[in-house]
Amino acid sequence: MNKARTNPLNTFAMHGALIFYTLIALFPVFVILINSFKTRKAIFKEPLALPDTESFSLIGYQTVLKQGDFFLYFQNSMIVTVASLFLILLFGAMAAYALSEYRFRGSKLLGLYLALGIMIPIRIGTVAILDLMVSTGLVNTLWALILVYTAQGLPLAVFILSEFMRQVSDDLKNAGRIDGLSEYTIFFRLVLPLVRPAMATVAVFNMIPIWNDLWFPLILAPTEATKTLTLGSQVFIGQFVTDWNAVLSALSFAILPVLALYVIFSRQLIRGITSGAVK
Amino acid sequence: MTALTLTNVNKSFGAVHVLKDISLTVEDGEFVVFVGPSGCGKSTLLRVIAGLEDATSGEIRIAGEQVNLTPPSKRGIAMVFQSYALYPHLSVRKNMSLALRQEGQPKDVIEQRVANAARMLNLDPYLDRYPSELSGGQRQRVAIGRAIVREPKIFLFDEPLSNLDAALRMNTRIEIANLHRQLSASMIYVTHDQTEAMTLADKIVVLRDGRVEQIGSPMELYNNPANQFVAGFLGSPSMNFFPAGLVNEGDDRTMGVRPEDLFLSDDGPLLAQVIHVEHLGGDTNVIANVQSHQVTARLFGQHSIEAGQSLRLGFSAQKTFHFDADGLPAA
Amino acid sequence: MTRPRIRWHIPVFLAPAVVIYTAVMIFPLVNTLRLALFSKIDQERVFVGLDNFRTLFFDPIWSEQFWNALGNNFWFFLIHMLVQNPIGIVLAAILSHPRLRFSALYRSAIFVPTILSFVIVGFAWKLILSPIWGIAPSMLDAVGLKSLFAPWLGKEEYALTTLALISVWQFVGIPMMLIYAALLSIPDEVIEAGEVDGITGMAAFWKIKLPLILPSIGIISILTFVGNFNAFDLIYASQGALAGPDYSTDILGTFMYRTFFGFQLQLGDPHMGSAIASAMFAIILVGVCLYLYGVQSRMRRYQL
Repeated sequence: MNKARTNPLNTFAMHGALIFYTLIALFPVFVILINSFKTRKAIFKEPLALPDTESFSLIGYQTVLKQGDFFLYFQNSMIVTVASLFLILLFGAMAAYALSEYRFRGSKLLGLYLALGIMIPIRIGTVAILDLMVSTGLVNTLWALILVYTAQGLPLAVFILSEFMRQVSDDLKNAGRIDGLSEYTIFFRLVLPLVRPAMATVAVFNMIPIWNDLWFPLILAPTEATKTLTLGSQVFIGQFVTDWNAVLSALSFAILPVLALYVIFSRQLIRGITSGAVK
Repeated sequence: MTALTLTNVNKSFGAVHVLKDISLTVEDGEFVVFVGPSGCGKSTLLRVIAGLEDATSGEIRIAGEQVNLTPPSKRGIAMVFQSYALYPHLSVRKNMSLALRQEGQPKDVIEQRVANAARMLNLDPYLDRYPSELSGGQRQRVAIGRAIVREPKIFLFDEPLSNLDAALRMNTRIEIANLHRQLSASMIYVTHDQTEAMTLADKIVVLRDGRVEQIGSPMELYNNPANQFVAGFLGSPSMNFFPAGLVNEGDDRTMGVRPEDLFLSDDGPLLAQVIHVEHLGGDTNVIANVQSHQVTARLFGQHSIEAGQSLRLGFSAQKTFHFDADGLPAA
Repeated sequence: MTRPRIRWHIPVFLAPAVVIYTAVMIFPLVNTLRLALFSKIDQERVFVGLDNFRTLFFDPIWSEQFWNALGNNFWFFLIHMLVQNPIGIVLAAILSHPRLRFSALYRSAIFVPTILSFVIVGFAWKLILSPIWGIAPSMLDAVGLKSLFAPWLGKEEYALTTLALISVWQFVGIPMMLIYAALLSIPDEVIEAGEVDGITGMAAFWKIKLPLILPSIGIISILTFVGNFNAFDLIYASQGALAGPDYSTDILGTFMYRTFFGFQLQLGDPHMGSAIASAMFAIILVGVCLYLYGVQSRMRRYQL
């Protein structure tokens, strides 16, 4: 290390500031998680203590599993998130390819039209979206959510993916054309594999807001059979406000899958954000 | 038989007219080089021949058949790209065989052709590697192999050597020349490097601003350039131009003399002020000012000349060219 | 003479995205704006022109709620701009220090709240700040500040600010990451040239880095603006649709939800809901346009 350029006091202060903020960021999550494993008495007596043999209890989780259909909620969230991501990536990549690869009349205008949705939140149109879903009979189905999230995710996906597709070498696509590949084969077999990192970025960007959304599940699919995990825990917690064990366990239930996904994908997510994809 | 005929081919991108009335022929087995400065339209012309761009007007015939509306893969051409354009996710073998599999060729034919091409290009040990595991020169050979296996009527090369270093470029140039002899196929080769053009071509097509300036064999072009542009473009170092008035009082033409035709001569007509000397060992390049005109003389062997000194240069009258104000030859 | 082939693959590639986007996003958006011009009178949909907006802005019952929600929304946004973005910039500046160890670890940890849903965040903080549980008071007690404690979420004067700070806590990771990326894209040579010229430490930040990351700060501001004027979930999750206490945390999102679906005795009114949505649309549009024409076009982007 270069001594002339490093001030130990500064290093100390920097780590101090970062550790302090890291504690602020993680403290609430930590408190919820440890208390979800404790007896009611221990929760109130020593909220900051780790569970020990005496205070350990799974009563909250038992209530949650008995009262709420959390596995169904989880499954619904999974279906909605995975299906939306699949459609966003497939349709987004197709449109991005058409816009970045071909010159045709109106392509600029079409690109602009699709980009509108990056800045305008889809929630503004909620009243009419509900109308639309009611009249097509999709209300209270997971399809309503999947369609809405797909529409919401497409503008940014098209924008990011077409930036990346412009970087795919023209020579490569032309080599494919000369080798007799159809435009579809060129897209699926040559271009898609090359923009896989960008696809991952788009997927991670969309995953969190879709998984965490409360607004559309509440409005478009609030029935028991279609509740997502976010809505399910919201409703459950509302009903069990006074049962602290159950509330803390339900919160932990909702935190854990997201946290697990984050641990798996955090590198991808952070690389995606820092690669300047959202400039 | 004629491998390729272009008749009055034009190409515009919107208002930009990139190719202007291009007509030329490529005979069977001929090695034709399109050469010109960047932006002259040579790559676009190649892409029009390949079918990657549609011609705005004009006719393209390959082996006698009109192909204006034929997709690239059906034109009987194969192309080697500047960036090689290997499929990064396919092995060398798969890269070379993709087009044949796409055509639905039987397995044994594919295997045979890939094996032949690999042997010809010394690629046998690399067939199961991926492009990222190859050196630049090896990638280049795979790109050529991919073209060979298709047994095309015409090979198209788009500046294939520009991504290689100098030593490799020389070797690959020789390899391509060898390949042409072995396959005796028609080849069209695009480059901005006049050395490549001179060394490889049976026939050179010089292009400028989307127009054909001259077509002919390398020596025809070298000895009888159709205009000042062609004269200056071919040959290295390039031809010296200066007002003929420097030599003959009252002559308002431009005079051209190739650097190798200048020699030291105590009673030479050009009094030159040396600005720089390049000692190449075998040759010595002298860059000097004749009044305000810079000329280069290429002297055989080694000479002890230094910057700052003045000397006299001579040339023989048969080795001079004259051009008028429009750059056309003026006798 | 050569007729260009019809390239059917282009519409095939474009159709799914354009159709879904148009049908589920643009069409409802336009339709919502249209619905705002109608009203239901005796079970029938009647065109009323701008009447709904007149009611919204001038009828005392409605306008009081509307201006309250709008004002709250601006306060919510202001707190984000004044707290979230400066903290994000400071964290990013520290994290981008070239010889800092564990920076990836810090980055990942500080980003954790951002990935949690509003429901989790809302309830977690509600529990922590709750006087019943007592985590917050006992922690303040430990540093001798117990007298400062109040049930912040339950008091009209503090609730909105508290929620805004909770939201800041949740989202500080986003400006941090974007600024961090912008700082990383500044070439080392530029910083080193400054160092050789004697511009180090804080001066390097103010005089070299900050001017170069201004465009990113602009983007973060507009993202914050759109996000805040579209907010709903956190307030709904922690305070309910009534945005208590006594509407003190009501913002446009919750106001629109309540109007559209009704609550307690009031019936839901899709037309007034649409009118509020249109107002939100107008506000966001004005904000985005101000940014695009007023800020971005004037901001110098430096070639790095």
